[in-house]
Amino acid sequence: MSLTHESIATLRRRLASKEIHSRDIVRDLLQQIEAREKTIHAYTHLDREAALAAAEKSDSSLALGGIPIAIKDNLNVLGDPCTCASKILEGYKAPYDATAIARLRQAGAVFLGRTNMDEFAMGSSTENSALGITRNPWDSTRIPGGSSGGSAAAVGGRIALAALGSDTGGSIRQPAALCGCVGLKPTYGRISRYGLVAFASSLDQIGPLTRTVEDSAILLSALAGHDPRDNTTDLRKPESFLSKPDGSVKGLRVGIPKEYFIPGMDAETEAAVRQSADWFKKNGATLVDVSLPHTPSAIAVYYILATAEASANLARFDGVRYGRRATDPRDVLDLYHRTRSEGFGPEVKRRIILGTFVLSAGYTDAYYRKAQKVRGLIRQDFEKAFASCDLLLTPTSPEPAFKLGERTQDPLKMYLADAFTISVNLAGNPALSLPCGFTQANLPIGLQLIGPRFGEEKILQAAHAYEQSHDWHQRLPPA
Amino acid sequence: MSAPQINISDVASLARLTLTPEETAKFSSQIGQILSHMDSLKQIETGNVPEVTPPAQPNLRKDEPTPSLSLQAVLSNAPAQANDLIVVPKIVE
Repeated sequence: MSLTHESIATLRRRLASKEIHSRDIVRDLLQQIEAREKTIHAYTHLDREAALAAAEKSDSSLALGGIPIAIKDNLNVLGDPCTCASKILEGYKAPYDATAIARLRQAGAVFLGRTNMDEFAMGSSTENSALGITRNPWDSTRIPGGSSGGSAAAVGGRIALAALGSDTGGSIRQPAALCGCVGLKPTYGRISRYGLVAFASSLDQIGPLTRTVEDSAILLSALAGHDPRDNTTDLRKPESFLSKPDGSVKGLRVGIPKEYFIPGMDAETEAAVRQSADWFKKNGATLVDVSLPHTPSAIAVYYILATAEASANLARFDGVRYGRRATDPRDVLDLYHRTRSEGFGPEVKRRIILGTFVLSAGYTDAYYRKAQKVRGLIRQDFEKAFASCDLLLTPTSPEPAFKLGERTQDPLKMYLADAFTISVNLAGNPALSLPCGFTQANLPIGLQLIGPRFGEEKILQAAHAYEQSHDWHQRLPPA
Repeated sequence: MSAPQINISDVASLARLTLTPEETAKFSSQIGQILSHMDSLKQIETGNVPEVTPPAQPNLRKDEPTPSLSLQAVLSNAPAQANDLIVVPKIVE
């Protein structure tokens, strides 16, 4: 059997016992990529020779020795392009490793390639990439979700074992749900963002997309921990994230927030998620009805704060130090204007303008500061909910993957795709999406488990227990 | 209260973007719609609610020089350079 279907946990054991070599895994993956990448287009950059050479030299005694991992194209990997799927970073080559990359490198991982995304991580479908769209491996007429759509399509499509993504409003969890893989957004402060191209710094987190929950815990252990180069990172030593791999859910208090089951949501999604809740109950957990009353405001709050932060973060792309520069500028203002107008795509421009507006004189109180206050209420909602339960169970996305092109002309409708993921970023909590069923049309459905801050172990344990008694994660996409 | 009239070209200019007439028309209507949605926040009572401020930074480190990227590495991505400097259009007459 092809090694591309194995989990990292299994491959680690087989590598350590010398039963297989890293080059065998990379070769199998490259073969699968050859067969499927033309349809899926998950990768923006793939250096086959470099991946094989790194596999050849890998050390299987290390924690991730010889394990190939795909990387979202907004993380700096020394010597690689880092396009953020934008024309404005054409020609850029990373002069350093992001901390997350350095940690994986130290653990012995092999870097397989760079994955497609919405430009600067702005989008929910990966259709905002300047480097072409990515297709859902379960149905190539549908979107893979976004913004980490390339990472999710690669893992779901069995052309990567695991990938890194970034999540500002759902960009790991929503595509993981739509492509049938496990996606974890860790607590704000859990993983260093040094070397991640910043979108909205008070919300951005890096996290893994994997086949299994155990693999998610393995990668989190390698990535977590304080970094003096990102002073929002937590000082605590990272724990083991799956210390009781055979644990049960008995006695667990699972909160069901009523605001996450809304009229108009996809019926098959709702049914699958409610069935998952029943599984927890049957296995000894208690279901607790909770309310997060400010959920309906989350999208408005998010698109004010995220665009405000983005308008500041993206000011650095001015054609001076790196990336694209407009030819023959009249003066420096002309250089800025033309470089940015030629280099950014429509969604990025739209968000920069929106963010500039909500921060502009006369409007900051009505928009930016108001949104920061409502963000406070959203955080309080979570704190109150976690007083009566250990974790929250919700759908990850209100619907399965939608058709390519269906929403590109209606940004507001596209923004609503993140309705169930955004609050978690605003509050800073960890959350994980895992497969919990399929629609009649064979599209994956995602279950979201949200934990208290720094409560990754709680959600990983619960997700692992659920996964052990279901086989959704073993189902293969059509060839 | 309805969404404010926003002069897209002025705001774009603050962000150092020049829009085509087509972009201006399209963004005006789309951003108008998005702002109307955002105006729903005005209904929420936030009288005594403290603003969420950027995360407190308890982990500040000492400002000690440590090895960093080499000059060559930093300059390697600059679109134009000479004498170990980045070349840009003249700023001051």
